[in-house]
Amino acid sequence: MILSAHIVILPILIPAAAGVAGLLCRGLPRLRPWIALGGMAGSLAAAIVLFFRVQASDSALVFQAGGWAAPFGITFVADMLSAFFVVMSQAVLSAGVVYAMGSRDACVKYPAFYPLFLFLATGLTGAFLTGDVFNLFVFIELLAISSTVLTAISDDRFGTEAAYKYFYMSQLAAFFMLLAVGALYVSCGTLNMAHLARIIPELPKETMLPMAVAFLTAAFMIKSATFPFHFWQPDFHAAAPTPVSAMLSSVVVKLGVYGFIRMTTLVFLPHAQTIQILLTILGIAGIAYGGAAAIATHNVKRMLAYSTLAQVGFILVGIGWGTALSLTAALVFAFNHSIVKSAMLMLAGFLASRAPVKSADFSVVTGVGRVLPGAGLLFFMGSLGLAGIPPTNGFMSKMMVFDAGVRSGHVYGLALIGASSVLTLVYTMRAFMRIFWETSQGKEEVKPQGDCLAAPAILVVMVLGLGIMAGPLVDAAQEAAVRLSDTGAYITAVMGGEK
Amino acid sequence: MEILTAFAIGLTFAAGIFQILQRNVIRSAIGLMLLTNAISLYLLSTGAWVGEKAAYVGTAAGHPVDPLPQALILTAIVISLGTTSFALAMLFIVSKRYNTCDADGLKGLSR
Repeated sequence: MILSAHIVILPILIPAAAGVAGLLCRGLPRLRPWIALGGMAGSLAAAIVLFFRVQASDSALVFQAGGWAAPFGITFVADMLSAFFVVMSQAVLSAGVVYAMGSRDACVKYPAFYPLFLFLATGLTGAFLTGDVFNLFVFIELLAISSTVLTAISDDRFGTEAAYKYFYMSQLAAFFMLLAVGALYVSCGTLNMAHLARIIPELPKETMLPMAVAFLTAAFMIKSATFPFHFWQPDFHAAAPTPVSAMLSSVVVKLGVYGFIRMTTLVFLPHAQTIQILLTILGIAGIAYGGAAAIATHNVKRMLAYSTLAQVGFILVGIGWGTALSLTAALVFAFNHSIVKSAMLMLAGFLASRAPVKSADFSVVTGVGRVLPGAGLLFFMGSLGLAGIPPTNGFMSKMMVFDAGVRSGHVYGLALIGASSVLTLVYTMRAFMRIFWETSQGKEEVKPQGDCLAAPAILVVMVLGLGIMAGPLVDAAQEAAVRLSDTGAYITAVMGGEK
Repeated sequence: MEILTAFAIGLTFAAGIFQILQRNVIRSAIGLMLLTNAISLYLLSTGAWVGEKAAYVGTAAGHPVDPLPQALILTAIVISLGTTSFALAMLFIVSKRYNTCDADGLKGLSR
């Protein structure tokens, strides 16, 4: 019994311990990447074990830090939703470490690079697993600081400017988060999510609760780069080091998605409908705007950043429709998008590392791919995954969103979404043709060596594998979505006592 | 006293928002610090008006104040110490690299 409770914090503790170990091994630069890889692999293993333990249990696994009972201590909760997101993030973060190990950037040689990467993993995992709103703020802050530093040390000379923009945005999100914490504490007298979920439906109308909902929504919107809060993301991704931007555009934006699912299915059930309508509208706006902006960009990484805006839009629409089927679709979409997008950003970074000048600008990378058939194949498969064409996992996720939309009668949105997903095909295929078919204007040769292709290859194999054998993933997402509707079980698991 | 505190916190918020919107990056960093402090005071005020004696300290009679907001602020202050020093270091590097303190001059990315 004790073991099953402690497994909840293992995916947080292992990367944190590996990060500290990496900091202590300052004099051993060759050992540092292996410590990071070992830490992430151990964390991934712990996450998978955690997922199956949670699946075998009837509702959720709970770890009360220090043995203090639920509303008083710090609670870590792993239900199916958290475990799903933790497995997703650890898988992608492990691939990120593999990419960093094969990267020829100067910044990965920086002593603090791998420890910072692991602290990013700690922050992300902690935010998924915590059951306390203030603790969520602490983990998000850890995540924000480590990703800002990782961006500031980029090889790109605009790295500090990108870090400056990202830092101000994440500080703004942190302020919103704290304001929400204050408002929640005033109106409910607790910050434990399960306790909040129990108290909020019984509260009188005149409290500061609407303010808390608004601030928390704004904070998660900045974190997930939802439509009107997206402007920092393209700038940021063009300059961040490839292994970092691949993580931030894939798994870190899912933090906001996770927050929205928690808000609409557990904590703020009385306000869920308002949030869902907002998410549907902003999601559709993001799909249209992101698709159009991705076509108009001049840089592969910027294109992929705008594409994230569109793809997160699909997930938000799935959350916004709010049925069990559309939540399943949103979860599957989130998992698949994380894998495809990190693979694509790594491939963009690979192309930039082989280009005559280190840049992912179309004027530089056009024609670079003519001598790189392996990268071309991977890029083509990834593009199919982004556009949602079989046999990739992108097809599965888009099909599920459409299916959920048809069954819940949201035909108006489906027309728009269908039109916008054609845009995805336009920009990914245009990028593919420019990089791998056209001849470059300049006379400079493609560099003989660049980043290692192992990590994107692993991810693209996962893209194909999850497209051909989508069953287990869909089943897991479905079970997570069905269990979300049983808030009573979650509250009882955390708080103890009767339902 | 409540009204006075509310006005003081509101004023700090206003000053912080005014400063963070300035084009000078140092002023925006000052705005960041003011906002952090305003939020800390706001959190403190959520538990300030219940009880009259310090919790867990001494043996004086009376209703103790709620210690949770104070614990929250303590964490928030520690985090803000780190973020503020990091922000200043980063702004130092940014302004040296671009040879300007004007936020409008920092647009190498969106050319």
